[in-house]
Amino acid sequence: MTHVVTANCQACRFTDCVTVCPVACFHGDEERLYIDPDVCVDCSACIPACPVGAIKEEFDLSGDEEEWIQINAEKASDLPVIRSKQPPLPTADARRSELGLN
Amino acid sequence: MNAEIDTGIVRGACPHDCPDTCAFEYHVKGGKLVEVTGDKNHPMTQGRLCVKLKDFASHHYNPDRILTPLKRVGPKGSRQFEPITWDEALSTIRDKWNGIIAEYGGQAIMPHAYLGHQGTLNGLTSGDAFFNRLGSTVAEKTYCESGSSTAWIMTVGPSGGLDIESFVHAKYIIVWGMNMTSTNIHGWPFIVKAQEAGAKVVVIDPVRTRTAKAADWHVQINPGTDGALALGMMNVIIAEDLVDHDYVEKYTLGYEELKERAALFTPERVSGITGIPADDIITLAREYATTPPAAIREGVAIERSRGGGQAIRAITCLPALIGAWRHVGGGAMEMPIWEFPTNFDRICRPDWIRPGTRVVNELDLGAALTGELQLDPPIKSLFVYNSNPMSQAPAQAKIAKGLEREDLFTVVSELFITDTAKYADIILPSAMQGEQLDVMVTWGHLYISLNQPAISPPPDCVPNVEMFRRLAKAMAFNDDYWDRSDWEMLQDFYDWDSPALEGITLETLKETGWARINVGLPHERKPHAEGNFKTPSGKCEFKSSVTANFVVPVWRSMYEDMQPGEPIDPLPDYIAPHESRETNPELAKRFPLSIVSPKAHAFLNSQYANEAPKQKRQGEQTVFMHPDDAAARQIVTGSTVRVFNERGHFDGRAEIVDALMPGLVMANLGHWPSFTKSGTAVNSISSDAHCGMGMAGSYSDNLVQVEHVAA
Repeated sequence: MTHVVTANCQACRFTDCVTVCPVACFHGDEERLYIDPDVCVDCSACIPACPVGAIKEEFDLSGDEEEWIQINAEKASDLPVIRSKQPPLPTADARRSELGLN
Repeated sequence: MNAEIDTGIVRGACPHDCPDTCAFEYHVKGGKLVEVTGDKNHPMTQGRLCVKLKDFASHHYNPDRILTPLKRVGPKGSRQFEPITWDEALSTIRDKWNGIIAEYGGQAIMPHAYLGHQGTLNGLTSGDAFFNRLGSTVAEKTYCESGSSTAWIMTVGPSGGLDIESFVHAKYIIVWGMNMTSTNIHGWPFIVKAQEAGAKVVVIDPVRTRTAKAADWHVQINPGTDGALALGMMNVIIAEDLVDHDYVEKYTLGYEELKERAALFTPERVSGITGIPADDIITLAREYATTPPAAIREGVAIERSRGGGQAIRAITCLPALIGAWRHVGGGAMEMPIWEFPTNFDRICRPDWIRPGTRVVNELDLGAALTGELQLDPPIKSLFVYNSNPMSQAPAQAKIAKGLEREDLFTVVSELFITDTAKYADIILPSAMQGEQLDVMVTWGHLYISLNQPAISPPPDCVPNVEMFRRLAKAMAFNDDYWDRSDWEMLQDFYDWDSPALEGITLETLKETGWARINVGLPHERKPHAEGNFKTPSGKCEFKSSVTANFVVPVWRSMYEDMQPGEPIDPLPDYIAPHESRETNPELAKRFPLSIVSPKAHAFLNSQYANEAPKQKRQGEQTVFMHPDDAAARQIVTGSTVRVFNERGHFDGRAEIVDALMPGLVMANLGHWPSFTKSGTAVNSISSDAHCGMGMAGSYSDNLVQVEHVAA
């Protein structure tokens, strides 16, 4: 089992999740974050930390979201670990409003 | 004590046998527990729970929960029960026990408990006073930690050792025999932080676990050979004169003898025993001795083989040899429970034990019940609480045979009908943590915590402390021990006037939930910078003043007599496993594979292994194998395989991984036998032989064979 970062991270990249992760399992590029499934311990601490509800436990994914399992695994293996909170993307607040999560 | 609020947040603490003892916030709405979260301000919990506890609220409402006392109405083990009243349950127990006591004496009754709950009122020692008063057999509870406790106390005394929070100051960290990201997840961030600050993290484990993958260096070791590695490190440290001679001279005992012993363990010899290249042993020793502060996290897994106790002895000698204790963040951590001023004598009342009362070790349960131990009087009644031996104890088949005995009167206090409870004649329903008051015992950090009831238990479910009050009354015990309230007991069970608890009272804990005990702060604490070891000599005893095996009294109702007592070498040594290809080649012809059975990630021992979300996260009973061993047996990932030896067998789904070394198999502990393909689980193959110290189990010291079976 693992947790995955789904579509809502795109254009947001709030990175609050990395501050609560006990195992430093978040990797990222300029656009968004991904979880390394070999490192995630399924504690779910990151789920409430995400302002846009982007993180889900694998078996809570809807059919459409299942593609994120593979995307997270592949991307995480090539990208650096993000260990500390970074400024969100400039588009984050607009994106959050668009998602109705303000 | 019932819950006082209808809606709001109540402070609590995790009930489990885990070093993390998290601070909880119970969220209550309309008298219902809706969520349990971790306290953000607790330095260890840091607002997080874990895969096991993150949906703890719903656990309280599991529809399978036992809600009334039950009596057996079908054959033993058939799971046929009918509800009865507490009055009927208590009078049945009373009449049965009075009959057994009249015919066989009190020692024909044996309690069986471990850390299914880790509270002061409801945990390990919750029944000790009752059974001591009853005159039962004293049960020696050595499921876990007992071998380590004996070895640690022989070496450094009952010291709390290195604080897990001080690990952030270390520059060299050895995690020895512990998969921290599964079993000490709230300790791991301190190591991650040290690593980010430049510390090198080394994990010593037979398996490339998730923890080992996160380390800078994974040292893969043959199971049960840790003592040889520690002695090999000493050999190098002494030969290359990396010893802190000043520290050794002032604060240790027996250096010359240790030097002589360590000289026998050359890197080449140790390489042959451990499977670790000699160069790596040399590098590990050099780096450890020359990168201060150097910290060791000792895992409980080390004790789970014949030489496990001596291995802990050897490892615990290492920090003194290099003077690691001089530094904040230097030294070793085993478990800091000894820092807490708990009045175990007041809890357990060893003064009630009749002189000459026998001791039966709980890991010998099968042998005790089946007559193999030739006990006189035989065990005629078994009372199980806080434990599930059909999953967790070795020699599963033997225990099942014992529990099937028609003449054995078995009472089990439980939350669910486990594989042990299914054999009961009477089942008593327990309260859950959100429903009861307790001060939690902690073995992984230095905070005392109060768990307050957030909701009321179902009407017939009672905390263990109340169950023993009722049993005491039923047995007509008139002692005022059982006249006290839970709150009064907690007042009596700790030395609230001790320096460690200065400024902390039950009343303050009611407000704060938890408090750090006064034993030094993480950025200052150096408990043995100037010796101050709590041994008879006051020094770190390389050569121990103890020469006979013993179990630390807290694991045996505080009983001092009838200790195992066989001679033990006062110097650390490497004791080879009972069962390995090297030590038992005859056995290995038939059963050529070693097996280790670490705790499951999503279960807490066998707890939660009956709940669907946790089963989904953990997956079915899986047998992990190296590709070479799998290929030789035409086994592929997904094959159904049988793991077996002369003691029993269990089936599982094969998973082929190179995280294991060739010749080693791994299967996680905790799956309920009744939910597996074969109706048996990993302890069906475990031997009930003991570790050489503290009567610990030898779960990682077993040979097996694996074969493909038709699915």
